[in-house]
Amino acid sequence: MTSAERARVLVLQVVSVLALLGIWEGAARAGWVDPLFVPAPSAVVGAFGRIGPSALAGLADTLAKTAVAYVLSVVLGVSLGVAVGSVRVLREVSGPFVVAAYGMPKILVLPWIVLILGFGTAPAILYGTIHGLFPILVLVMGGVRDVDRTLVTVARAFGASSWQLYWKVLLPAIVPTVLAGMRLGIVFCLLGVLIVEMFAGVRGMGFVMGSLANGFQAPELFAATALVSASSIAIVLALDSLNNRLSRWR
Amino acid sequence: MRVALIRLAILGALVLAWELLARAANPLLYVPPSVVVPALGRLLVLDSYPELPQSLLLTLREIVIAYALAIAAGLGCGFVLGLNRLVGRAYGPILAALYAVPAVVWYPSLMLFFGLDAASKIAFGFLLGFFPITLAVLAGVRQVNPHMVLVARAFGARPAVVFAKVMVPAMLFTLVGGLRTGLALSVIGVIVGEILGSKGGMGALINHAYGLFRTADYVALVLVTLALVVASDVVASLVERRAQRWSD
Amino acid sequence: MSDLIAVERVGKRYLTGSGPIEALRDVRGGLVVPDGGRVVVDGRPVTGPDPRRVATVFQEAGLFPWRTALENIEFGLELQGVPRGQRRAVATELLGPLGLREFGAKYPRELSGGMRQRVAIGRALAIDTQIILMDEPFGALDEQTRLLMGEWLLDIWRRTRKTVVFVTHSLHEALALSTRVVVMTARPGRIKSVLELPMAYPRAMESADLIALRAKLWSDIRDESLRAMGDA
Repeated sequence: MTSAERARVLVLQVVSVLALLGIWEGAARAGWVDPLFVPAPSAVVGAFGRIGPSALAGLADTLAKTAVAYVLSVVLGVSLGVAVGSVRVLREVSGPFVVAAYGMPKILVLPWIVLILGFGTAPAILYGTIHGLFPILVLVMGGVRDVDRTLVTVARAFGASSWQLYWKVLLPAIVPTVLAGMRLGIVFCLLGVLIVEMFAGVRGMGFVMGSLANGFQAPELFAATALVSASSIAIVLALDSLNNRLSRWR
Repeated sequence: MRVALIRLAILGALVLAWELLARAANPLLYVPPSVVVPALGRLLVLDSYPELPQSLLLTLREIVIAYALAIAAGLGCGFVLGLNRLVGRAYGPILAALYAVPAVVWYPSLMLFFGLDAASKIAFGFLLGFFPITLAVLAGVRQVNPHMVLVARAFGARPAVVFAKVMVPAMLFTLVGGLRTGLALSVIGVIVGEILGSKGGMGALINHAYGLFRTADYVALVLVTLALVVASDVVASLVERRAQRWSD
Repeated sequence: MSDLIAVERVGKRYLTGSGPIEALRDVRGGLVVPDGGRVVVDGRPVTGPDPRRVATVFQEAGLFPWRTALENIEFGLELQGVPRGQRRAVATELLGPLGLREFGAKYPRELSGGMRQRVAIGRALAIDTQIILMDEPFGALDEQTRLLMGEWLLDIWRRTRKTVVFVTHSLHEALALSTRVVVMTARPGRIKSVLELPMAYPRAMESADLIALRAKLWSDIRDESLRAMGDA
């Protein structure tokens, strides 16, 4: 991309976002849309102040649960993925089960999880982990399968033990896959936690948003939605920059 | 063959373990298979939930509408962003950023806007299906070898012909993959929407059974819904295999 | 096959397709068990990878993309548990003869094809075995690079005096580099003929005896190539 083109792209992005907000604001003020359902952007900005403290507390609660679910997802996903991916018997026997579990709408087991674990932190963490675990697991399994065979051959020709094959070839080779899984996993974990909070929460951003929707507090709801979206994007961008730093060799 | 047997044996062992553990712990909560099977029977003969056919049809209708809208908008958006360099460069990153947001954050707003009826489920199913289709079109357009387009132009093909005879076949594989993912996500979107709050459809029945602690009925309803999900995926995979044969 | 490996230096010719490749991979690093017979080095059988006696260079450089050139050269020593400082010293010393003095800290993707292959050869040299197996080491390089790499390899060989078993499809490579050429049959991979090349280096490829050897070599290979084409 030339710098002139980059400038044009940037201008187009800024102009279209501003235009969208302008039209939206105008439409709301002119009464073309019902402000009860679609509040003007200015009203949403105002709502940030009103929901501020409670939304931030809810966000902190949600992110804390997400963090726990995320650590569990990554640890379980990577270790199971490496084991299942590199041991042929495990791969052939459990492959279809993993794929089926990955594709299944997990929401169907949510009522059952809530029945057993009740309302609160535990079901959110469990459900968030289930959501984050499978994409990481499936990616890592594939990554292990796709490790360049030449590298394994080279290592064996140079006398690598099984242990050395794992530590010096397999694990370094799947680092990019693991990072891709971590990027995908965080969004899924957050998704799972938010769903539980909306379905059976007593705290957290999902609960806050659900209550705002039920109370027809559109400006506050839009503000809360923007807050969660922005945090999610920020987290993903942070992971991206970590990703870039860790894979200079690619 | 041997692997298939092992898988079957594992499946059998899991069912058996579930049965034994559920009986030992709390059959009401953990519903062993021996309780599920009769419950499934009662459900299927319309004994426990006579409104099952209507609910299933409603869910199916929501899925079909959501998916059709997702295809239309996804293909449209994808091609506009993919074929126009400047527009793609400008809006592609915005789209990617939105994709990094867990989609369920939009659901309360949709519920507020569209209410508790089918419309909010359709909207959510549409939203979930829309992204993978758009992104697949974008990836597919990038896969088309510009040289092939040039050759076609050199042979005097008009843009519409280039599009139909060169671009679509070249990207078919990616496109169909995106359509399949889109369907899976539209299905999930509708079901998530129904369970998070609705007055009709399979989600409403599931919530009803769950709310009344009718766990056996709940599991039976989940199994029927899963059958719907699997059926939709089977149809999609058949279409995908067909398309694969074309693109070879 | 013991005499094969006991010889000072062998240029080996075998054909694409299948049979001979497996036959040679038996030898290559001892990774595959031969169909019949035994693989013997210095009178001792090879039953598995044997990096204390035999180092291997593959057609694809097979460098670890997450390791720098220097770290790739150290790889074999690292597996053998050589302390960091010591292996770093060995690898650094090799950079000069490899022509990679400025490139020790570069990652494989930052190196050219010829450089990558030299790193792979450096990795084999680092573990300091008497025998190095090279399986079409320059097969993936372009013609010019390939010629230069051949000259470079001769230079290295004259300095280190290792036994190099060099698999190639190139007549030129076999004639320019080898002290002995072993022609392999297409399928199964058996020894068809052995040519001795006592000429001094660097060789004048236009000299009468090399032209005569080239004709002889080609006639041996031509039959096998035709057979391989027929099979394919």
